[in-house]
Parts: sequence; structure tokens; C-alpha cells
Amino acid sequence: MSAPRSALSIRDALYEAPGPRTRRRVLIGTVITGALVLLGITAVVRQFYVTGQLAPRYWSLFLQWTTWRFLGQGLLGTISVALAAGAIALVLGLLLMLGRTSGVRPLSALCRVVTDFFRGVPSLLLIYFFFFVPAQLGLKMPSFWMLTLPVALAASGVLAEVFRAGVNAVPKGQVEAALSIGLSPAKTMRRIVLPQAVRYVIPSLIAQLVVVVKDTTVAYVVSFPDLMQNARVLITSYDALVSMYLVIAVIYILINFAINKAALYVSRKTGAKIIR
Amino acid sequence: MGFSELLSTYGEKYLQGLLATWSMTAVSFVFVMVLAVLVTVARVSPYRPLRVVGDLYVQVFRNIPGVALLIIIAYALPELRIVLDWRTCVIVTTILLGSAFGSENFMSGINTIGVGQIEAARSLGLSFTQIIGKIVIPQALRTTVLPMTNLLIAVMLTTALGSQVPLNPQELTGVVSYINTRETGGILTFLISALCYVGTAFLISFAGNRLDKRVRILR
Repeated sequence: MSAPRSALSIRDALYEAPGPRTRRRVLIGTVITGALVLLGITAVVRQFYVTGQLAPRYWSLFLQWTTWRFLGQGLLGTISVALAAGAIALVLGLLLMLGRTSGVRPLSALCRVVTDFFRGVPSLLLIYFFFFVPAQLGLKMPSFWMLTLPVALAASGVLAEVFRAGVNAVPKGQVEAALSIGLSPAKTMRRIVLPQAVRYVIPSLIAQLVVVVKDTTVAYVVSFPDLMQNARVLITSYDALVSMYLVIAVIYILINFAINKAALYVSRKTGAKIIR
Repeated sequence: MGFSELLSTYGEKYLQGLLATWSMTAVSFVFVMVLAVLVTVARVSPYRPLRVVGDLYVQVFRNIPGVALLIIIAYALPELRIVLDWRTCVIVTTILLGSAFGSENFMSGINTIGVGQIEAARSLGLSFTQIIGKIVIPQALRTTVLPMTNLLIAVMLTTALGSQVPLNPQELTGVVSYINTRETGGILTFLISALCYVGTAFLISFAGNRLDKRVRILR
């Protein structure tokens, strides 16, 4: 994770104050690269034009209130799954971390295996698991949970590691001091380590929400009405595939961009680094 | 369905799936690295249009969900008369996503170097290319070994997107969904693929950690 402010300073530190000749060369380069970028944009727009994708019938549906209301309902679905999965992952991740750092050998080994498992498996595989296996066992599961549980499990592995990094960031001397004044290990964790660790990882937790939102996009596998699934429904009824997918992509990008920015903002305010 | 029955019926499919996942991961990662370097060069270049495009590239592909990108490449591009075969669609998706994160890794690698070193190099009379080639790139590479191992694992997990298009041969996730649409596969069918993923991730991070210990710069 790079903080843009420092990124700019190192970017600029790479160059000395330019003399008149360098300045001219940079100017020429800027003009040439600018022209190339413009050329690229024109090529893309032209490709859209010659294939007829700029035709009003592909874009007019975005002028209709009903389109946005339907997409808005999908967005609500996305948000509810993301928040529920995030909340479950938060609890599970914390438990996994506590188990791993508990010092009880079998428990810590088990939690380690579980953490590594969920970190090393693609979330799609987990989603297919919850799509197929409960049904095969004769359980009826609502599509909301078929999506929320796997997304939560996938995130819990990562969050366990984030929490662990937060715990490790608390100075060892504090733990030693707490133990030496007679606090039990559990109480030390609860009263001394955790409050600081949690504060330290807040920006990282916000940043992880991006991964959760991304994972919810495959909701169509379990046919849960999220943003993507609703967009697919609109595509079949309006036959506007390219425009719809592009608009949806932009919405997702903006949401995740905003979450990332929020994480960066909190990180800068509190001085805590973002752990990924 | 028992373990031996499963292996005798679908063992070959799993093996093909593992190989497909591995090969797509390997091909993607090579291009991820190349593209990440190019994007990073654009982002630190003195030309403003390149910087803007580089930053935009990273923001777009860091924030777009993998499925959305795959669907655009696989189903929207043909409408614009750009048709790629399924495997290429998956690989291109993985490359675009991975290179954005790779460029971020390089940028934070560059950021750890510190302005002082560059000023020192300049006052010794090193030229720009010398500073980049002798000071910046070697250190940036060495500090990014661990993030890049994590990226390699992420690239492997991203190839699971291949289950969303009709690949032949299918990769590990696609194999499991194929088996379970045909019969009651049960937990075991998932466990085999999962262990292939976890095992590969373990090998990658083992190799990455060893490499990192050898080249890491202790500060």
C-alpha cells in the first residue's frame, strides 16, 4: 500500500530541477505521450461507433427511472451481503486469531490450519461448496446465506492474519508489564492488547471490505439478486449488454474506490498502516 | 461417493484441472510482472499523461471485481468485434487484475528507498538512468519479493474465474462444479481441489520466504 503523498515526493525526488533543455525535452515528451493517449481514446470510441454500440437504443434505458430503481435494489442486496459477511468474518477472524495466539498447542495448530485453508482457497470454490453440498445433504438454504457464508469464510482467514499483525504491533513490554502486575493472560489480552490492536487494524479492516464486495459479485451462481444479477436481468430484457456491463463495472469501481479512500483517510488520521 | 471411486472416475479430470490452474497461473504471472513494470515506469515517468494513465489503470483494475472484468472481456468485447478464446479471456483478466496490484507493490518498494539515497546518488554525479538502474530497481526488487509471492498466490486464486466460462480443459474449480452438476459429489470433491490450491499456495510461500531471507535488505 502506498500513501499517495509520499509516492509523489519520491516520484519527484527522482528528478533534479530541470534545466531549459530538459524542460523542453519533457515538454516534447508530454505532448507526444498526450497525443498517443488521445489516439488510444479515439480508437476505443471509434470501435464503439463502428460496431454500433453508441446507438441510443443501448443507452436510453439509463434515462429511465425504473432501470436505476432495479439496479438500486440490486445494490441494496450487494450491500446487505457485504455487511453481513463482513460482520461474520470479523467475529470469525477474531476467534481464529485468539485461538492461534492462545498458547494451547492443539487449538493454535487447528486455528492455523483453518486460517491458511481459507486464505489459500478461491472464494468461488467456497461458493460452489455452499451451492451444492447443503442441497445434496437435503438442507434448504436461502440464497442469501449460500452467498454470505462462503464470502465470510474467505474473508475470515485474511482478517485473522490482520488481527494477528495488530496484536504483534502492541509492544511486548506492555504484555510483560501486565503479566508482572498480576493480570491473567486472558485479562492481559482483553484489557491491554486487544483494545490497542483493534484500533491499529481499523484501516486494514475497512480496506478488506473491498475484497468482500468483490467476492459478492458471483451472486448469480446462487441466483441471489445483487447488483450484478439484476444487471443481467436487465440485459436480457433490454438487449443492452455492453453498455450495461460497463455501467455496472464503473459502479463497482467507484464503490471500491470510495472504500479504499476511506481506509486511507482513517489510516492517515490514526497513523496506522494498512495491512493486506 | 467414495474416495477411490471418485479418483477412478474423475482422477484424470482433477489432474488436468491442476495442470490447467498451474499453467494459467504461470503464464499470467509472467505477463503480470512485465505489465506491472511497464505501468510503474509510466507512473514514475516525467510525462504527465503517462502518469495519469498509469494511476487510472491501477485504480480501475484494483477496484473492479474479477467476475465483472471477465464478463466484459468474454461477452462484451465480442460485440465490439474483439473475440478471444475462453482461456485467453481468463488469462487476460488475471493479467489486468494482477498487474495493478503488482504495480502497487513496486511503488511501495520504490517508496521504501528514501529520498536521501537518491539525493546522495545525485550528488555523487550519477545520471538518471544510473540512479534508476543501480539504486532504485535493485532495492525495489529485493523488498518486493514477499509481496510478489503473495501476488503469485492471488493470481492462482484468480484463475478460478475460469469456472465461469466453458474452458477445456477446466481448471480446478470448474472441475468440481462440473462433477457436482452431474452427480452428488459431496464434500470430498471440494476437498481435493481445495487441497491442490492450498498445497500450491504453501509451496509458493515456502519458496518465496526462502528467497526473501536471502535477498532481503535489513534496515
